[in-house]
Amino acid sequence: MRKTLITCVAGAALLAALPFLLSQGLLNAAIQMLIAALFASAYNLLCGQAGMLSFGHAAYFGVGAFATVHAMNAVGGAGLLPTPLMPLAGALGGLVFGAIAGWFATQRSGTYFAMITLAIAELVHSLAPHLKGVFGGEAGISTMRMPTWGYDFGSTTQVYYLTLAWVLTAMALLYLYTRTPLGRLTLGLRENSHRLKFLGYNVHGLSTLVFAISAMFSGMAGGLQVLSNESANYVVFDPSLSAAAVLNTYIGGVQVFLGPAFGAALMTFFGYAISDLTRSWLLYQGILFVLVMMFLPTGLTGLIAITGRLRERHAPARLMPLFVLAAACAVLAGAGTVFTIELLQRLFSQEYRALMQAGAGGPWPAVALFDRSWQPGSPATWGVPLLLFGAAALLYWRCRQILNALADGEPAPSGPAPAQHSEESA
Amino acid sequence: MSDPILALHGLRKSFGPTDIIRGVDLQVRTGERHALIGPNGAGKSTLFHLVSGQLAPSSGAIRFEGREIGGRTPQAINRRGLARSFQITNIFPRLSTYENVRLAVMRAHGLQYAFWKFIDRDRRIREETGRLLDLVRLAAKAGSVAGEMAYSEQRSLEIAMTLASDPRLILLDEPMAGMSHDETEYTSQLIREISAGRTLMIVEHDMDVVFSLSDRISVLVYGQVIATGTPAEIRAHAGVREAYLGDEATP
Repeated sequence: MRKTLITCVAGAALLAALPFLLSQGLLNAAIQMLIAALFASAYNLLCGQAGMLSFGHAAYFGVGAFATVHAMNAVGGAGLLPTPLMPLAGALGGLVFGAIAGWFATQRSGTYFAMITLAIAELVHSLAPHLKGVFGGEAGISTMRMPTWGYDFGSTTQVYYLTLAWVLTAMALLYLYTRTPLGRLTLGLRENSHRLKFLGYNVHGLSTLVFAISAMFSGMAGGLQVLSNESANYVVFDPSLSAAAVLNTYIGGVQVFLGPAFGAALMTFFGYAISDLTRSWLLYQGILFVLVMMFLPTGLTGLIAITGRLRERHAPARLMPLFVLAAACAVLAGAGTVFTIELLQRLFSQEYRALMQAGAGGPWPAVALFDRSWQPGSPATWGVPLLLFGAAALLYWRCRQILNALADGEPAPSGPAPAQHSEESA
Repeated sequence: MSDPILALHGLRKSFGPTDIIRGVDLQVRTGERHALIGPNGAGKSTLFHLVSGQLAPSSGAIRFEGREIGGRTPQAINRRGLARSFQITNIFPRLSTYENVRLAVMRAHGLQYAFWKFIDRDRRIREETGRLLDLVRLAAKAGSVAGEMAYSEQRSLEIAMTLASDPRLILLDEPMAGMSHDETEYTSQLIREISAGRTLMIVEHDMDVVFSLSDRISVLVYGQVIATGTPAEIRAHAGVREAYLGDEATP
């Protein structure tokens, strides 16, 4: 408990120190990461804790964003609230819209619930472009951060601290929520809502409230994005944002409180760092998601838990080679994948086809990749990824061997239990 | 004789053209232990579903303490003071045993939408949860994942959760199913204890338990009550012997 608290304080201190360590561009990325982390955590309240898989959470993020932009532009641009409190307008927007949408969506559960959330999000998404007065049409609505309380909010650093303060507060509230009666009942909803009815609970009321609270924090995230961008556009209702919330949450891991936040921050950072380097970012995101779902259903934070369990049972000296090999294996496989995807992307690109037509009949022109030129017809070119994948497979096989040896070495955990049991029943 | 706590009049339930409950008249007296027996498919569980609100009756009346409850929601019926357990274990499988009982206890203390206080700080809830766990001999298992416990332990947990709302009428649906002889004996004694000051209605297949535990027994066959009476009366009832009990089952 104490250790967790110290880790959290250290993490917050590190986040607070970032403006002194990062460039303006990276600080902007950090703001986006914080917002995505809050959005994913809000989403996970519904998805991971209450077990309600919503496919349309962008709607509540977007409503929060537009509530904030209108609050900032109200009173002739002076704003309804002081600038630092603007995310509250987003939270209120999300809460109200979430309560209404949630009342309908939670009439059903499982697949039907998911379909209703999808339909509501799609409704807002297709309606928004037509309501120019509210959503500003193609151009969107722009706004200004008004100076308040001696701060002008003109620099990225000030916006960063404002975002950080709100995100940390919201995350703390979301965590404390799990310790309340309603927070415990949220888990009950996921586990067995049928039983809750027979314990005297109003399951529909509870589901609606949980939905609304999740939408409220999503709306707050939307409001923070408006504060950062000084504009809102109906693009925030795009289904890809809903999808990103689902993917980030599951990549991070739904079972750990900070998992979704971690996943969202990581994926947002990659999106920022890699989208300049490749045109296939969405493909990488998809591959990562599929791999995590196939091999790590508990997400990346689940990996930490697995490593933790291994470290409890075995000496670090025995685990070290395993970790090194596993990391090397991941790097090699990743390098092979990147090489293959980038090479194929260039071969299938329009520019390359134009080159081929220009030199029709001749050999395929070389492709420039990673500061070298590669002949598409040469076995040496395709040998590179094959070699990488081969080495990765070899390391994977070796890792499995070590893992099996570790499992054989320890006293079988199921050994003493049955003996005890037979004593009891005898 | 006091007024019946539960009275069923001309109760019917059909699923499409299939009649499951075909005109049941039954009275459960306040304070008694009333067993409901009958062959498989007689409609015992359906009758429990109707009384507890899981199903709405097709026609007829269900009166609990004089008030009609037929077709009410399960939570409304539970709040009136009627709690049930389930034949197929119905718990929160991935939560701890402690958490399972605590979720059941919270409602009786008026906690539902509360997000402004911490549950761990509530002494009443802690004490009541501990008391119930002790009662069903699960205190040592408080930290275990409920769904990973032995089947009989899950049955005991079911009973603890049913008791949490301090109900005046308890419906237990086969509480001893899957229990060993020792466990059955303990649970039988437990049911005797918890039914002090309450009314109990129980569906059970173990005839030893039924005949030793209950004050009165009703026999449900093919959706109709063919007899109600004391264990001695039921044992002697010719129609019951023919329809259901069979000589080897008669204690």
